[in-house]
Amino acid sequence: MRGTKHEQSRRTESCTRKGGHISRRTFVAAGSVLGVAAAVAPWVITSARAQDKSLRILQWSHFVPSYDTWFDAFAKKWGEENGVRVSVDYINIADLAATTASEISASSGHDLIELGPEAAQFEPSLIDMADINQEMAGKLGKPFRVAERVSYNPVTKKHYAFCHGWTIDPGDYRKSLWEKAGMAEGPVTWEDLLNVGAKIKDEQGVQVGIGLSQEIDSNMAARAVLWSFDTSLQDEGGTIVLDQGENLKRTIDAVKYMKSLYDRALTPEVFSWNAASNNQALIAGRASYILNSISAYRSAQEARPDIAKDIFFTPALKGPGGTGWGNVHVLYNYVIPAFAGNNADTAKQFIAHLVANYDEAMYQSKLYNSPSFPDAPIAGGQRSYTAVAGAKTLNDLTEAWFENDPFKLEDEADGKLRVLKSAAEWTTNLGHPGYANPAIGEVFSTFVIPNMMANVARGQISPEEAVKDAAAQIRKVFEAWRNRGLVQGG
Amino acid sequence: MATGVLEKYGARQRLLDSDRLLAAILIAPAIIYIVALMGVPFVLSIYYSLSDVTTGGTDAPFVGLANFRALIGDPTFLQTLYNTFLVSGMTLLIVLVLGTIQAELLLRSFRGKWLVRFLILLPWTAPVSLSVIGWLWMFDSIFSPIDWSLRQAGLLGHPGALLGPATNLYWLGSGGLPMASIILVNVWRILPLGTVIVLAGLNSIPREVQEQALVDGAGYFRRLFQVNLPMMLPIFGIAVLFTFVFTFADMVVIYILTRGGPANSTHVLTTLAFFTGVQGGSLGQGAAIALFMFPVLAALSAIILMLIRRREV
Repeated sequence: MRGTKHEQSRRTESCTRKGGHISRRTFVAAGSVLGVAAAVAPWVITSARAQDKSLRILQWSHFVPSYDTWFDAFAKKWGEENGVRVSVDYINIADLAATTASEISASSGHDLIELGPEAAQFEPSLIDMADINQEMAGKLGKPFRVAERVSYNPVTKKHYAFCHGWTIDPGDYRKSLWEKAGMAEGPVTWEDLLNVGAKIKDEQGVQVGIGLSQEIDSNMAARAVLWSFDTSLQDEGGTIVLDQGENLKRTIDAVKYMKSLYDRALTPEVFSWNAASNNQALIAGRASYILNSISAYRSAQEARPDIAKDIFFTPALKGPGGTGWGNVHVLYNYVIPAFAGNNADTAKQFIAHLVANYDEAMYQSKLYNSPSFPDAPIAGGQRSYTAVAGAKTLNDLTEAWFENDPFKLEDEADGKLRVLKSAAEWTTNLGHPGYANPAIGEVFSTFVIPNMMANVARGQISPEEAVKDAAAQIRKVFEAWRNRGLVQGG
Repeated sequence: MATGVLEKYGARQRLLDSDRLLAAILIAPAIIYIVALMGVPFVLSIYYSLSDVTTGGTDAPFVGLANFRALIGDPTFLQTLYNTFLVSGMTLLIVLVLGTIQAELLLRSFRGKWLVRFLILLPWTAPVSLSVIGWLWMFDSIFSPIDWSLRQAGLLGHPGALLGPATNLYWLGSGGLPMASIILVNVWRILPLGTVIVLAGLNSIPREVQEQALVDGAGYFRRLFQVNLPMMLPIFGIAVLFTFVFTFADMVVIYILTRGGPANSTHVLTTLAFFTGVQGGSLGQGAAIALFMFPVLAALSAIILMLIRRREV
C-alpha cells in the first residue's frame, strides 16, 4: 500500500477503532460534504424563495416613528389581501445610498427601495417606471412639479423612480424671542434673519440655528440662500451657471451673506452639526430660528410642550430681489432595481395602493408627508382620522389640516401650520431650476455648497475664491456624469 | 468484477486517509476566507480605480490612470492625505508614550491594580462605533459634559473665563479642536492595545539584565532608554505597526464625529473615499482614493517586519 508512515498507521487505526470517536475518514468525508452544502445552500434557499410571491421593501426610518408602525400594518394587510408575502426593512436615511449601492453591486436585495434625490445615481440599474408614473398621472391628475424633476431623466428619457410624496421645509422660529425683538411674525427675508437674529443673540443670548456643516440640513439651507439670491448651480438645461454672468455676483453676495450671518447670529457649533442638531438646538431652547420640517416641532410637542407652543413657522425667506425658495426637505422616491424585475408588477401594484391611500400616509406621518398627487380623490372606506367635511381631494385635506392641525396640543394656538398651505409655491428640488440628476446628487453628497459657505465663514478663503473653487469642483463632477451619458447640458 | 469493486473501495479509502487531502481541507476555509474577503475585493478595487465605474451599474469602462491624475492636483485630496498622516502619526506618538508609562505602572505592585488594569483595558472591550457615539455626546455642541464640567469649574462660559466667555468649546467645530478631538478618541481606543503590547515586552526582558543594570548603578531613565527600550524594539515595532495600521485604515471615528468636516478639514483617505465613491456614486474615483493607503501600509508593514526579523536574528 502506498502512502506515508502516518497514513499507514492511521489506516490501521481507522480500521480497528470503531465506536466513540469520529474517524479521520468520517471527518474528511463530512467536512467535504459540509463545505459543498455551505456553498450551495444560499443558491438553493434563494431559488426556493423566488418561487414565492413576495415583496421586499427597503425604506428609511421615518422621522415620525408612528408612521413606520402604520406602514408595517398597511403593507402587511395589502399583502394578505393579494396573496403576497410583504416584508419591510427600515434603515437610517443616511445609509440608504450605501445599502442600495451594495444591493445593486450584488444584484440581490429588496424589490422596492425608497430613496431621495440620490435615486438618480442608480439609474442604469433601475427599471423604467414610466408606466406607473403615467398611469397615476392619468388617474389622479397632474403631479406636483417637483415630483417629475426628481424622478425623470430628460437625457435618457427614463422615469427611474416614482415619487409618491415630499416634505415641506419651512422656517421654525420661537415666537416669544422674535416678539421681544419686535418681529412677532418671524422673519420674512434673509435680511430680517440676519438683523433681528443677531439682535436676539445679543440681547437674549439665543442664536440662529442654520448649519454650515457636512450634513443634509446645511446642504439645503445653503441652496435656499443661493436660490433666494437668484442664483443656482445649474440652469434648466443643466449648464453650470453658479459663476456665470450676473450669477457670479449673486453667488458671491449669497456667500458674503452667510459669512455675515455666521459672524453676527451663529456660533461655531454650526460647523459640527449633524442632521439632528438643529432639532436638538430648537427643542433645547438654544435656537431662535431653524430651517427644518415640522418633525422638530412634533418632537418638541412630546419632549418639551412649553417650547412646542412657542414654535411658529415661516415660508421660505426672501432674498434681495424678493425671491424666496425652500428645498423639498425629503422626498419619497420609490425605485425598482433591475435585479428585482420579476417582482416589478407586484411592486407597482403596491405603489398604486399606497398612492390611493395617501390620506392615511399624510395623517399617520402627522402631516410630515405631502402628496405628489394633490388632486387625488380621498379613498373610501374606514379611515383612521375624523372625516373632514367637504374634503374630496388630498389637497382639500391638506388645506383643512394645515388650518386646524389635528395634532396640536390642547392649549396651543390655532392655525400655526397655516403658512404651509402655500408650500407648493415656494418649494423646489435639488437641481432647481433644472432636474435633479446624478451630478447634482454627487455635489450634494460631497457637500460642495455648504463647504463653500463654511470656508468663507471660517475665514479660510475669500468669497470670490470660494465661489471659483466650488464652481470648478461642480464642473468636474458634471463633466464626469455627462461623459457617462446621464446628465444634460455642456 | 469483485476485484474491481474492492479496488474502487480501496482507492476511496486511500483518498480519505491522505494527509494531503486532510491538510487541504483544514487549510481551505482560511484560504477561501482570505481570497474571498481580501483578495477578490483588493483586485476588484484596483480594477475599479482604473475604470469609470459608478454605484449605478456594473459597467466599468477602463480609463487608465485618469482617476489618479484627477486626485493629484485636488486640494481636498492633498489636505486629506496630510490629515491621514497627521492623525496616524500623532496617535502613534501619543500611544507609544502613554502606553509605555501605563505599562511601567502596571509592572509595579499596588493596591487596586486589578481595577486599574480593568479600566485601562475597558475601551478595547467596547464596540468602536458605540464608544465613538459616546464621544460624540461628550463633544456635543450643547450638552457636552466636558463643557459642563468646565463651566462648573469656572473655566468657561463667563466674561474673563480662562477658556472664553462662550458657553461651549464647540469641540467638533471650532479651530483646531475637531482634529484634536479625533486624535484624542483614536488614542483612547488604541491605548489599551499599545499598553498590553509594551507590557508584554517589558515582561519579556530577563530579570538578570535588569538586576545587572541596577547593580551597575543605572538609574530609572538610563535603564529605560539604554536597557529596556533597546531590548523592546521588536515589541515596539509590533505596537507601531498595529497602531499605525488601525488608525490609518479607520473610518468609524471620523465618520461618526465630523463626517470629514468642518469644510473637509478632517477628512482622511477612508472617509473621502466613502463619500466620493459610495455616497457620491463615483466608485472608480473612490477606489483610487482608497488605494493610496495600500503602498503606505504595505511599505510600513514590510519595513517594520524586516527590522523586527533583523533584530531577532
